[in-house]
Amino acid sequence: MNFGHVHRIAAPSLMAVLLLVSGVMPCHAAGKFFRLGYLDHPGSALCRVAATHGHFREEGLQVKLVKFQDTASGLAALEAGSIDAGAFMVGEALGQIAKGKGFRIIAGGGTPTDTGPLASLDENHQGEQERRGIVVLVPANRPVAEKGSIIGLTAALIRAHRTLQQQSPVVRQATLQKLSQGATVPNIHFDPNPDYWRMLRIWQGLGLQDAAMPGDFLANHVYEEIYCDALDRLLIGPMDPVLQELFSKAVCTPNCCPANSGRLFTLQGGSTQ
Amino acid sequence: MKRIIAAFLLSMFMMSVAVAANLPKLRVGYVPEPAHGLYFVAKEKGYFKEEGVDVELFQFGSASEGIAALKAEKLDVGTFGTTAPLLFISKGSDFTFFGGMMIGGQAIVTRPDRLAELAGKNLKVYKGKKIGLVKLSTGDVIFKGALKKAGIDWKKDITFVELGSATAVVEAIKKGSVDAGLLWPPHFSLAEKNSGLKVAHYLEEYYPKYTCCRIVAPTAKLNADKDTYRRFLAALIRAYRFYKTNPEETVRIYTKSLKIDEGIVRNETYVKKVSESNPDPLRKGILDFWQHIREAGYIPQDYPIDKHINTDIYKQALDSVIKKNPKDKVYQQMLSFYKKNN
Repeated sequence: MNFGHVHRIAAPSLMAVLLLVSGVMPCHAAGKFFRLGYLDHPGSALCRVAATHGHFREEGLQVKLVKFQDTASGLAALEAGSIDAGAFMVGEALGQIAKGKGFRIIAGGGTPTDTGPLASLDENHQGEQERRGIVVLVPANRPVAEKGSIIGLTAALIRAHRTLQQQSPVVRQATLQKLSQGATVPNIHFDPNPDYWRMLRIWQGLGLQDAAMPGDFLANHVYEEIYCDALDRLLIGPMDPVLQELFSKAVCTPNCCPANSGRLFTLQGGSTQ
Repeated sequence: MKRIIAAFLLSMFMMSVAVAANLPKLRVGYVPEPAHGLYFVAKEKGYFKEEGVDVELFQFGSASEGIAALKAEKLDVGTFGTTAPLLFISKGSDFTFFGGMMIGGQAIVTRPDRLAELAGKNLKVYKGKKIGLVKLSTGDVIFKGALKKAGIDWKKDITFVELGSATAVVEAIKKGSVDAGLLWPPHFSLAEKNSGLKVAHYLEEYYPKYTCCRIVAPTAKLNADKDTYRRFLAALIRAYRFYKTNPEETVRIYTKSLKIDEGIVRNETYVKKVSESNPDPLRKGILDFWQHIREAGYIPQDYPIDKHINTDIYKQALDSVIKKNPKDKVYQQMLSFYKKNN
């Protein structure tokens, strides 16, 4: 299926979802809005909590939330550039990445969990649930200049996760219930970590690795550096147990260097000393 | 006369530019640590050009930025610790370790009033203690490896507090929120000098000759031009000899190039010898390091790391240097060291 065909199919639904624009942040400063699409799904709650609790604003972002009824139309909007980032189902997103769509996963979200007695024994069921979890994606061709916005977006989602985790279970359930406008909210496990190894497990479970793909194909589409930078930014502030746990689970390249004030050379001009 | 001299100097300069222009180029990234100074010795003493390679050095502020540049093929060589290349390789990036830059170097630092309780050579003194560290730093990985080798269950007996940077580790030690912390050069020297903290132990005391910063290259580039990479290592081998036999000039070169306090460079390099600049690839050390990362639970899947280590190019470089200097003791020691560790 070529892009033109996708575009024709997606266009009506795109128009529909654009009419569903919701959750606009209060914003007094003039500036560009960051358009964040999200799936109408309880696993997208971090995006909505970040908006309602002012976490985007805390990160200096003016975010416009755009609701989508299905992942396919959301990913089409992301590809078309009508949204800047999107929170959609991971299984479908990985499927699109395997087909060559230039998306990069920058953060995780909520994954439905079954607490039934046999749930942990049924691997197929677990895999299916994992694939229905939410991840946040950006187009891979986003200019480097906007890396700061993406880090800010991810930091806001981490803040939203912290907000939910700091609520009592009863209050948290009420928060999620309110976001779903009264619909039944399943058990959801939230984790803003994009977690390459979890993505790899889903990727392998779906059999998406093609022999012709380079070994780091998936790694090139999971932008953990953004999550690590966002976490680093938040760790400058006071440490709390939620952040400490996220930090403990993240696998980030250690910030090893430098203590000196020496001139840093850039790739535009190397040292020939 | 002045014109003649000027014309002569100009022609010499033009000749050197022409020679350099004809040499194969390597773009080399590094992070500014004292033990990375071999690059500057080789540069300043002209070893790279004598060996037939034109090296351009690029300093990076963090290992993650550097390794990203290497992955984007903006660099031909990178020296960004051991963890960063291992993480990237385990996720499918095709890098190959082919040399080394630093052995040892990590220290356990504490407040002066806590020094006595950490005295002695037995790692059991750390049982029950709270240790601050930067997760996945060389100190983190090697200290846990040393504890395991000593039969200490660190998951049960020691509390590790993961912090975001060396500065955060120093602050935590000063405030007393941890009993001690793991730091690397020049941070522990700076912590002693600026914050009045004390080194309780160097990790070398518990884990001799462990691997720190390794030299890596994109595998395809390395395989396509092995001779250039061999020349590059030959220059570093000669720089190692200079570093072993000319301390004062080496200190001057390291200090000037890395903008680090001369006293710290001299102390770390030649007085306390807390780390060693050594171009040996240290294959066994890399494999041990990977094993310790796996045992610490940082990476859930194993990976055939050995396929990403090339020791042949270093051996060929060492042989080429020895052939020209068959009786040199430093080069003979390097050969013995290579045989033991690869």
